Parts: sequence; structure tokens; C-alpha cells
Amino acid sequence: MISAKNIVKSYGKGELELVVLKNISLEIKDGEFVAIIGPSGAGKSTLLYQLSLLDEPNSGEVYFNREPMLGLSQTDKTSVRLHEMGFVFQDYALLPELTALENVSLPIIMQGLSKSDAAKKAAVALKQVGLADKFNNLPSQLSGGQQQRVSIARAIAHEPHILFADEPTANLDTASSQTVIENFLDLHRNGQTIVMVTHEKEYAKKATRIIELRDGVIVSDKKN
Amino acid sequence: MRVGWFLALRQIRRGGKGTTALIIFIMMLTFLNLVVVSGLLLGLITGSFVQYRENYTGEVFISSAPGREHIERSQELINYLENDNRVTAFSPRYTVSATVLGTLNRLPQKNEQTNETGARIVGIDALAEEATTKLSHSIKVGETLHPEDDGYILIGANLLKKYSAFADANIPGVVFLEDVDVGSRVRVTINQGDEGPVVKDFIVKGVVKSKVDEISSRMFVTNDVIKRLLPINKLEIQEIAIRTNHDNVPQLVSDLKQLFPPKDARIQTSEESIPSFLRDIETTMGVLGNALSSIALVVATITVFIVIFINAVTKRKFIGIMKGIGISPLSIQFSYVLMAIFYGAMGSAIGTALTFGVLKPYFTANPINFPFSDGILVATPSGALLRIAILMAVTVLAGYIPAKLIVRKNTLDAILGR
Repeated sequence: MISAKNIVKSYGKGELELVVLKNISLEIKDGEFVAIIGPSGAGKSTLLYQLSLLDEPNSGEVYFNREPMLGLSQTDKTSVRLHEMGFVFQDYALLPELTALENVSLPIIMQGLSKSDAAKKAAVALKQVGLADKFNNLPSQLSGGQQQRVSIARAIAHEPHILFADEPTANLDTASSQTVIENFLDLHRNGQTIVMVTHEKEYAKKATRIIELRDGVIVSDKKN
Repeated sequence: MRVGWFLALRQIRRGGKGTTALIIFIMMLTFLNLVVVSGLLLGLITGSFVQYRENYTGEVFISSAPGREHIERSQELINYLENDNRVTAFSPRYTVSATVLGTLNRLPQKNEQTNETGARIVGIDALAEEATTKLSHSIKVGETLHPEDDGYILIGANLLKKYSAFADANIPGVVFLEDVDVGSRVRVTINQGDEGPVVKDFIVKGVVKSKVDEISSRMFVTNDVIKRLLPINKLEIQEIAIRTNHDNVPQLVSDLKQLFPPKDARIQTSEESIPSFLRDIETTMGVLGNALSSIALVVATITVFIVIFINAVTKRKFIGIMKGIGISPLSIQFSYVLMAIFYGAMGSAIGTALTFGVLKPYFTANPINFPFSDGILVATPSGALLRIAILMAVTVLAGYIPAKLIVRKNTLDAILGR
């Protein structure tokens, strides 16, 4: 379970200060598939970064399994991200010198598994997203949709507690977007907790809960 | 550690081949800068030491004790050397001061200097000298001496206006023989003190030119001739050059010193007999070489730093992503240090191969022609290893710092390219 309490995040100072998140509180339970929606500049991605410990709010607290996270050192936060979280970025964020299998293996090796054991787990994850025949392809040899699915495989291969996805379909065509969302639904059916930021309401509707942000404030939080 | 290896290996293997080759090329040039530049500087003076040994002293050099005219118990010493199987060759030499007159067919006119100069005349066993110092290799014009050459003389190029490199310098007090060449007749006068001068005419058989001053500034005749000219001490010689295996030198010198104490002879290794001013030049060259190496090292540090920094900056986003997905900053830094080590090791390996496989043999076969020596490249495996170690240490540091600078940037800023 992850929760945020009274999160405030602003950028700039003085007259130039822009408050992006205004006293946000929420709780995401294990097994939920949450879509965060809202117009551009609403603070969707900023909220995701606070929840996933990639950024620190000006005030407020983030709890993971009821443990406060913001007092942790950078090294400890990195460790929490490694063991408990998975990330899918808008622009896939694959390492260009690593094959699909190696990209997916990387966090698993970091967790301490041997290269061969990591490769086995990575292969399972890649098969899960329908890329069994692309193990040895470099990112440059894959389409956008395939790269995003590799990114999903990387995010789930080390069996994280919670999967964060920031606009995962923004750079994809409709068919690829559909496939990615299908992947998320499959994962959710298997019990994966997912927090997805999207501006596409059609995909948000696939989630079990939709949180709508507007000008840094939660304007609605509905079960779907 | 394992993730560092994993990342570094793949970045090297799948990164831009051209960039990798360029970085390795720069590291190789840096290594050469460290080894070859200082090696050549030192080689200029070391070349002169080598020639001093090869052309003049041999590995062991025996000369008269200070204040003595000749080596005491010379014949006993020669007998010892003849029977010591560590000695591969030796050349006993008679030396005496003399004047040489270059113009015999007319007297000098009013206010005209006599065409005469002073020099040491050396009596040699032509075959022994050839075996010891290969005197024939130093003959610039004409021929070398043979044992039966009675009435012939070799003259050092430094004594002749036509051949001396200093002839046009007009150095006060230094007189060169004019119009003397191979085939010329010269008159040698040896002053014997109370017994009056001994005078003999010789025909110049050859001109000796070497970068060892002691060779180019002397005259050579056979020892039979000089023994006839010297009325006393016919069996007592002034110097002996000895060839032996380099490993035998310390023991041979020690044994000789036990048998012939300092009052009898001065027994030195070739290195010990080198004049102190050459030693000073060697020290100066060493200091210069070290100064240049230090500059090269600073350049190397900056080069590696820039290379790794640019590499890390261009991958800033990916470094952010790696941190974002939980890769530890230390693993990422380690991967950059490993890459720096790879570049440094490859550059050093190619530089070492080039130094010992190409440059050193080349400069040995084709020494740099300097006025006072034939410059060689001084590069020893231990010296190269030391420089590799220094270069690698610098490389690790110069790889680590920029990686740390980039890795410690805010993760989210790196991912978003802010």
C-alpha cells in the first residue's frame, strides 16, 4: 500500500513560484489499477514522481506499507525503487547499448541474481508482453510499441510491489497503445498494483479507479 | 560490481566504434608522450654513454692512478687479463702528449702561425683495438691501422680544420691543422723532458671521427712505433679498455681492484669513468624528461576527464533512468571507471607494443644524429610499467570524478533532461 498525506509541490520562488500540487492526500491499496487523469499542467506526472520517490515534495509525506519514505537517504530510496517499484516511462527509456533481454535483466541483476538467472526471469517477462522473439534486439531494432512493451517487461520482471506508468501510450499509435493497455490489464488480473498517468480517458476507463487532477487538486476520485 | 561490469562491457562493445577507437588512440598518444618523449631526451645522453663504452672504454676501463704516468705492474695486469675467461677482448694503450706539425714543405712566413697543434698520441695493438672498440668503424676517411703499419698515423677529426665540427667557431687557443688529409705527411714531436724531443714523420692513413671526444681528439699509431719513440717505460702502458659480459662487470672490477690497488691503477666501470659533466647532463635530461612527463600526465588526466565527462553528459538521461529503476549510483560510477580503465589499458597496451616493437628497435637501428651523440630511445619494461601504473591511477581518478559529478545530479532532472 502506498499513500500520500498533504503533499505540496511547487517550483520556483517568490513571485515566480508555481504550486503544482496543493495539499494532496490519497491512498492506493494493493491490487488496485489507478489511472490519474487531468489536463496538461494539472500535476499528474508530478504526483506520480512524488509517489514513486523520484522527487521530493516541499511538504507532506509519502508512506510505503505505512513506513514514511521522505526521510530516507537517496541510496535507501534507490533500494526501495529497485525492490518495490517498477517504472514505465513515456519515452520507453531503454538503454540503447543493451538488448531487450539485457534491458529487462538489469534491475534483476542489481537485485543480486546471477546473470543467467536474471536472463531467465527477463525472458519470462518478455514472453508475458508478447516479445518472445525479440530477446536479442537492440532498442533501435524495435518499433515504438515493442520498445514500450520491453519497458513494461523491465518494470515487472523483478516482481515489484507497485508499477508506475507515466503516459505509457503517449508516443504510440492506436494499435500499440491497445496492446500496452492489454498488458497492463493482464498484469492487474494477476494482482499487480498499477498507477498510470494518462490524458487519454479511453484508457483510463480500463482502470479500477480514476483520480482526476485539476490545477494541483484532486477534483474526483472514483471507483470504476 | 556485477552491474558495473555488465554495463561497462556492453557500452564498450556496442558503443560507437569510431569514438572508442578515437579515445584509445588519444590514450595511446598520451602513453607515448609519457614514455617516448622523456625516453628520447634521456636517450640523447644515454646514446653518448653507450658510444663512450663501445668506442673508448669497453665495460671496464683501467687508467693510470692519479698523479702517476702509467699503470703500475702493467705487464702483470695484461697477463691477468689474457688468462681471465670473463674478458672477451682488451686493448692496452700507450698514450703520450705530442705536437703535430701539418706543413713540412715550407717554413711559416712572417706573422704566420705554425701549422701545428697538440694532442695525445696513442699507441695501440691494431687487432686488439679493433676487437675491443671497432676502431675501423670510426674511420671517416682513409683506412684503419694494421699491425705492420710502420710510419702511418690516424688523426682525430677534431684536430683537422677540414673535418672538425668546431673549425668555423674560431675558439681562442684552439688550433686546427690546415691542409692535412689522408696521404698528407705530418711531423710528430714527443717531448721527453731532459732527454730532448723525439721527432718522427708519419703519413696520414685515416681520419678518425667519433662522437666520443677522446677518440676524435687523438692520434693513433701502432704500439710498436710508439715503443720505439719512447726511450723509457717501454713496457708500461697508460690505459686499458676491457670488453666483458655486462653481468661480469662488478665481480671483474672487484677482483681487479683486489689485485691492483688504487696506487697501481684506477679501475672503473665504463659508467664510473664517464666525465662528471656528462652525468650532470644526464641529470638535467632526467629532470626535463620528468617535467615533460608531468605535463603529459596532466594533459592525460584532463583528456580522460573530458572524454568520460562528455560520455557521461551525453548519457545523462540514461543515467537518470538507471537510477530511477533502482540501479545504484555506485554501480553506474563503477561502470564509467571500468570504461576509463579499458581505454587506459588499451592505449597503454598499444603504446607499449609500439614502443618496444617498433620505436625502440627503430631508434636503435636509426639513432637520432646529434652532434654529441647518437640519440636512442631509452625505454625499459620497468619504466614503462611504472608509467602504465601512473596512467591507470590517473585514468581511474579522471574517470571516477566526472561520472560522480553526473551521477549525483537529481534523478528526475536527468530523466526529464532539465
